[in-house]
Amino acid sequence: MIAANKPNKIARYGMSIDLDRCTGCGACMVACAVENNVPPAHEGATARKGITWIRVFKVDNGEEGPARRSVFVPVLCQQCGEDTPCVHVCPQQAVEVDPATGIVGQMPERCLGCRYCMAACPYHARFFNWWDPQWPAGMEKTLNPDVAPRMRGVVEKCNFCHGRWHAAKERAAAAGKSEIEAGAYVPACVESCPTGAIRFGDLKDAASEPAVAAKDAHSFRLLEKLGTEPKIYYHSKRDWVRQVAAAPKPPNGKENARG
Amino acid sequence: MPFLAGALAALGAGWVGFPHAIYKSRPQPVDFSHKVHAEKAGTKCEDCHAFREDGTFAGIPSLSTCAACHAAPMGTTAAEKNFIDAYVTPNREPDWASYAQQPENVFFSHITHVKLGQLKCEQCHGDQGASDKLRPYQVDRISGYSRDIWGRTLFQSKAAGAVPGMKMDDCVDCHRKQGLSHSCLDCHK
Amino acid sequence: MQRTRRDILLFMGGGAAGAMLTPAPWRLVTDAAIWSENWPGIPRPARGEITARYTNCALCPAGCAVRARCVAGQPVSLAGVAGNPLSQGALCAFGLTGHQLPYHPQRLKQGTPEEAAAAVRGAMAKCGAGESVAVLDLAPGRAASWTYRRAMAAVANGVYLAPPPPLGGAAVNLAKARTVLSLGAPLLDGWGTPGNVHAARANFRLIQAEPWESRTAALADEWLPIRPGSEAALALALKDPKTAPSAAQATGLTEKQILDLANELTANGPALVLSADDLPEALALNHALGAWGQTLVARPEVPVPDAWKKAAPERVVASVPDNSIRVLFIDESVPGSHIPWGAIEKKLVRDNPVVVAFAWTLEGYGRHAQFTLPTAVYPELTSDIPPAIDSPAATFRISVSLVAPPAGMADPSAFIAKAAGIDAGNALQERADAIHKSGRGTLFTYADGKSTPLKDIKPDAFWKSLNEGATWLGGAEEPLTRRRGDAEEIPGELPSEAPRLRVSASDTFPLLVAFTTPTPATLSSPLMSKLYQDSDLRMAPNTAALHPDTARASGITGASRAVLETQYGRCAIGVIPDESVPPGMLEVAAGPEILDICGAFTRAKVVAA
Repeated sequence: MIAANKPNKIARYGMSIDLDRCTGCGACMVACAVENNVPPAHEGATARKGITWIRVFKVDNGEEGPARRSVFVPVLCQQCGEDTPCVHVCPQQAVEVDPATGIVGQMPERCLGCRYCMAACPYHARFFNWWDPQWPAGMEKTLNPDVAPRMRGVVEKCNFCHGRWHAAKERAAAAGKSEIEAGAYVPACVESCPTGAIRFGDLKDAASEPAVAAKDAHSFRLLEKLGTEPKIYYHSKRDWVRQVAAAPKPPNGKENARG
Repeated sequence: MPFLAGALAALGAGWVGFPHAIYKSRPQPVDFSHKVHAEKAGTKCEDCHAFREDGTFAGIPSLSTCAACHAAPMGTTAAEKNFIDAYVTPNREPDWASYAQQPENVFFSHITHVKLGQLKCEQCHGDQGASDKLRPYQVDRISGYSRDIWGRTLFQSKAAGAVPGMKMDDCVDCHRKQGLSHSCLDCHK
Repeated sequence: MQRTRRDILLFMGGGAAGAMLTPAPWRLVTDAAIWSENWPGIPRPARGEITARYTNCALCPAGCAVRARCVAGQPVSLAGVAGNPLSQGALCAFGLTGHQLPYHPQRLKQGTPEEAAAAVRGAMAKCGAGESVAVLDLAPGRAASWTYRRAMAAVANGVYLAPPPPLGGAAVNLAKARTVLSLGAPLLDGWGTPGNVHAARANFRLIQAEPWESRTAALADEWLPIRPGSEAALALALKDPKTAPSAAQATGLTEKQILDLANELTANGPALVLSADDLPEALALNHALGAWGQTLVARPEVPVPDAWKKAAPERVVASVPDNSIRVLFIDESVPGSHIPWGAIEKKLVRDNPVVVAFAWTLEGYGRHAQFTLPTAVYPELTSDIPPAIDSPAATFRISVSLVAPPAGMADPSAFIAKAAGIDAGNALQERADAIHKSGRGTLFTYADGKSTPLKDIKPDAFWKSLNEGATWLGGAEEPLTRRRGDAEEIPGELPSEAPRLRVSASDTFPLLVAFTTPTPATLSSPLMSKLYQDSDLRMAPNTAALHPDTARASGITGASRAVLETQYGRCAIGVIPDESVPPGMLEVAAGPEILDICGAFTRAKVVAA
């Protein structure tokens, strides 16, 4: 559903990820799960059936032995701004691009569970709830009240921690403002990154870190050629990393066995 | 003839029996009068239904707010004695049911509507503050939603003066009229 | 009146048609749809006032500062404290999920403290000459550790045991380093305080000498892929270039590479050499490079009350005679270094030793102890955290109880103090008072991010601040007094529980074990399964990756389970073939079982399950 509304200010939230700083520690992945009430892996879950709104992949240059070089690449919903593939295929209008923020939203309440969007997403950034969410006894006390747990049979994905956006809006309202100030709203992965590799901001604000990073010669976006205008910018000074990202296939022709 | 009888029986059941059967009803724990409190304790809703420092809405006041005045019985009514004996003395929070409790997947910010939107409490909650008695809390047996969310009638009443429901359509209606944003994630979490 | 079948059908048809004109069916459809969003089994997050509370993470010696977001007092998420001088607002993946530990399914809930106390009393009475009562403290330096030392001083034959201090007890000053050579130390993956390491990272050149491309090697300025087990030879050649030819042979590097590296370490100083296993050769190299007083410093001791000074000395397990410990207490309530059970077991007397483990899970030493008493776990427990290895200043901070522990939890220091007949009920506050009396340093408080000189704070306010989230930092004006092990001793013998790496492979245990992940000595939150089950970012606990050739040589091709065997014992593990692991090595994700037979670094073999 593309809502016809008139927000006071139109933002285009985006992210820049410095791959030269990512150590692949996984802090963003667990912080995301804590924030968004994603349960621990179900016993039947695998790397294909699990729910990881942000997932760090290990990518190598295809060499063996001492010439091998690896890079860790956090992949989340790339928040495509143009011809957003998942929006187009959804028969339920359960996906929309928020006109005010540019965030691609997924509505579990409307979702039918057909998984067209998962097939359409070029980034494998959407996840299906194969099971009802379950936490070990007592651990449900640690759930975040700003995010509703999802039921079995629906698709979910990163929405730039929308609960935090709500909270920031509410704080702004309490201060009598209708807009969020820069820096008052950051997703959990950004806050948790111990090396500061992930930066967040409004791409329309030329001074924001992602907007600056977007102009850097060492920046690139994943599958940019599809023309979907993703809003996640990656950055690496290592030439081979950018070459691998632009290559049509993994360097050794096969996917990495681990990660 | 039997066709008509069947139709009439179903119409009766559907229009009279069903609205009763679908709701489960329970009384509020304390016989509370908004009217009396509005006259004697506070004049504004926010005096008891307060905002916290961070702008979040605290909702139904906790026992400590009540106990500020009701540390000892104020008056001799049975309801007062019951309230003191059952809650204030053992320091037990009354198990209030919130008529306006939104479902888990809804984010609603009171301060945005009250401070930025300049809405009056009555516009959504009706003239609750003038009521002398708490009506029983009615909850849908299947969906678990309070009857006030749906609206007092089974169909939404658009008649002038009727208390609006608190369904998504009601929210979106108002946002549309005001030309405010109403994309999904504005209100869903 | 005669009723026909037709009438009944007509009645039912009428009923159906009539029902369609009522709200009932439509409402039922809507309700059923709503019900499916909230059907039973989907938990509802509790609502309440949202507040911030502060503490320090007790999951590893880094003790990072933590801001807990609480709903009605219950922590629902953790984050770092920006501006903290050491942890710099960073938390690791383990720390970010620490608030979930109290609800771990493997949590120990019941114990038999009375029976344990009785058994301890009996055994202590029976303790003969040459036998001892010992406390094994996995996280030494806490106020509780001092209680144990005082208790063991009060007991005849009392012995206080702790893991050997890393780097011989010295502290690392990363901010001073310009060149860091890491011999397999996981510098960017769990070593020291993550925030401090990453903050200092821009100012030094990092050279990682390691057989496989670890997370640190992937981000180092230079990665030297050396042969497994040749770290000591490399360190030796860097100190003494005469041995470069043999080191070149051992490491697989060229002689020139080694000599260039040696030059770089001298020319681009101050340098620092770190090793995964505290190699004496690495410490000797540090000494030769003049790292002492620069990148390696003697950290002043955190003050303790004078009354505590009558304490048992700190000893390592290896220094105790075999078959001499009659009563052994093991405190693993706060995670620390792990010592293989086999190394401990041989120190126990042969006839009925009493081992009491204080743990929050049965996965640790509790599996071997007669009595395992459940304890509180972070963030329930209240404990101070000793200074981190990369903190050149003395620090004092308290991990505050954010959640009330369940009923029936044992307090290890109260239990041991009682068994020894000493009073140590208020140790934490006594130590805080002793620090306050020293009048040195500053207090960094988390809620306001301010630093205040200690002399401007009253004792009560100091104690209150410590309990609301604060770090005391001993200032630089402190005299450099004693520390564990003096600089002159460093090149010599260092006590260690683990066997040294050797260049020559042994026939019995041909494979070198290298831990890939920061090794939590106890369990981590079930949510960490995101990293090893819902994705392949890390390996699951008790799993090993090895080169397909190694797997073939071990006869485990195609299997996903195998048995890992070391000198201390054997355990079942999962195996993953991975060509990026060099032959002759096992890349291991630790779990309690592997730690129990591996120690820090060791040799092993894998056989088919």
